[in-house]
Amino acid sequence: MRPLDWVAMFLWLGSIVSYGLWRGRRSGTVNEYLLAGRSMPWYAMGLSIMATQASAITFISTTGQAYIDGMRFVQFYFGLPIAMVILSATAVPIFHHTNVYTAYEYLEKRFDAKTRALVSLIFLIQRGLAAGISLYAPAVVLSAILGWSNQWTTIVMGSLVVLYTTTGGIKAVTWADVQQMSVIFAALILALIVAFRLMPAHVSIADAIALAGASGKLRAVDLHFDPNNRYNLWSGLIGGTFLALAYFGCDQSQVQRYLTGKSVAQSRLSLLFNAMAKVPMQFFILFIGAMVFVLFLFDKQPVLFHPVELKRIQADARFGAIQSRYDNAFDARRQAAEEFVEARHRGDKGDARKLQAAENQLDQVHQDALKLGGENDTNYIFLNFVTHYLPVGVVGLVIAVIFSAAMSSISGEINSLATVTIVDFYRRHIRKDATDHHYLWASRYATAFWGCYAIVFASRSGGFGALIEAVNIIGSLFYGGLLGVFVVAFFFPRVTANGAFMGVIAGEVAIFAANQFTSISFLWYNVIGCFVVIAVATAVSSWQTNSVPASSRME
Amino acid sequence: MIPDDNEPPPFLGAWKRVYITVLIYLALLITVMYVFSVVTAP
Repeated sequence: MRPLDWVAMFLWLGSIVSYGLWRGRRSGTVNEYLLAGRSMPWYAMGLSIMATQASAITFISTTGQAYIDGMRFVQFYFGLPIAMVILSATAVPIFHHTNVYTAYEYLEKRFDAKTRALVSLIFLIQRGLAAGISLYAPAVVLSAILGWSNQWTTIVMGSLVVLYTTTGGIKAVTWADVQQMSVIFAALILALIVAFRLMPAHVSIADAIALAGASGKLRAVDLHFDPNNRYNLWSGLIGGTFLALAYFGCDQSQVQRYLTGKSVAQSRLSLLFNAMAKVPMQFFILFIGAMVFVLFLFDKQPVLFHPVELKRIQADARFGAIQSRYDNAFDARRQAAEEFVEARHRGDKGDARKLQAAENQLDQVHQDALKLGGENDTNYIFLNFVTHYLPVGVVGLVIAVIFSAAMSSISGEINSLATVTIVDFYRRHIRKDATDHHYLWASRYATAFWGCYAIVFASRSGGFGALIEAVNIIGSLFYGGLLGVFVVAFFFPRVTANGAFMGVIAGEVAIFAANQFTSISFLWYNVIGCFVVIAVATAVSSWQTNSVPASSRME
Repeated sequence: MIPDDNEPPPFLGAWKRVYITVLIYLALLITVMYVFSVVTAP
């Protein structure tokens, strides 16, 4: 990072905060603070939904994933458009017509207070953990690149988010997201153009695509069904649909975005915009990763992309041997790539096997270097490209964009956590009859509280790598139960409050059992949890109805 | 349980048609990506 990069970065971060504060300056009531007075246009909601979901780590690690594993991760998003259609037809009109602040408020109208409290509590646990992670994960990566401490990066990022989210509420969050997404798109397009321009002169775009394909990086769709394989067409379509239904239909951090809509139509359009844009966007991000891979076939990179780990292993006595093996393996791979391109120019197909064999050899050296370093460096691949290849000034802007992506996720999370805390617990159980002004300030304090909690969690997570991983897994364990209870609420009119309550508990038990005793991929947990909730809720409701005398049922 | 909503979409006349369009679009995307995978495979 050169001085111009630092200026660009701080100017951008300052403009995000100022713009958010300016757009959210008139949030003088609870309705305006939490739901933007239900005045948002579809494009603002749509971009905000996208920004909340696309965290910084999405941009950093998705490109890195394509570099390492190819483009098959795109299948994870195939269920999203299906889920968006279902939610537009069901959840959006229901939530709008019941005039709720939170998705869980609807559960009390449909069932009872205890079901609402249980589901709200599950959300607070799950999203509360995720908020800390959303701040911690990018902070670790950015710290290594900027040379700051984790704590310092966390505090800078967290404080900026708390400032505009606490002051401006959801209006500030949404409009800041719109601004951030626009620049994120621009930065990604620029990154791809730069990757193409930096290829050797004799390597055309078609050659680059052929090289990536020959290396197995462009295999986007896998038709083979395997429940233990995380990314194939079927897990994407079925598991991905359930995951997206749960995330966009039951998670307040997303539901709150489309509750701010001017009308049902505007909210639907915001979801359908995501349905149309998300899959191509992910494909594009992964494609950038694949093209960075091609660029690095010709341009030598360090043994490890993680700058701190690289310095550490350079002091190790075994590093010399690894570096020597790496140099030889890289030369062999570059030679294989050159021969492949030459063959293409002659009109031949090119020797993909030789290229793959050379790639495997280089990967083996990389794995051995990782064993010395101890930490996976996938998240540093794209940042390595950004900091070494993009023009001065643009580097600072892209780093700021990655900061922004993290901030937009965290702002959405703490805003929704505050909403559930105030609407589903404080206003429902603690202070039922206070003034609007009182709840407005309570919401602000709750937002500041969750922001500070995320900062403290993130800044103290340094020594708990395994815990972070565990928390990520735990986060994926709750959605099936949440989805199941909303499905029975919408589509099973005979399900009673007790049935729904027991169903959620049974669904969660089933998911935890699947996690502990099977090797089923986490995408299927949502399917399992949802069906168990439906089965138990209908069974309990049916038993309850049958066990009540007919005369009582009449009442 | 799902309330009626009479507000039409800004295009295609009915929400059902918009939903079908989105699903056809998804099918097309998957097909294009599959063809891309096959064509670029070694």
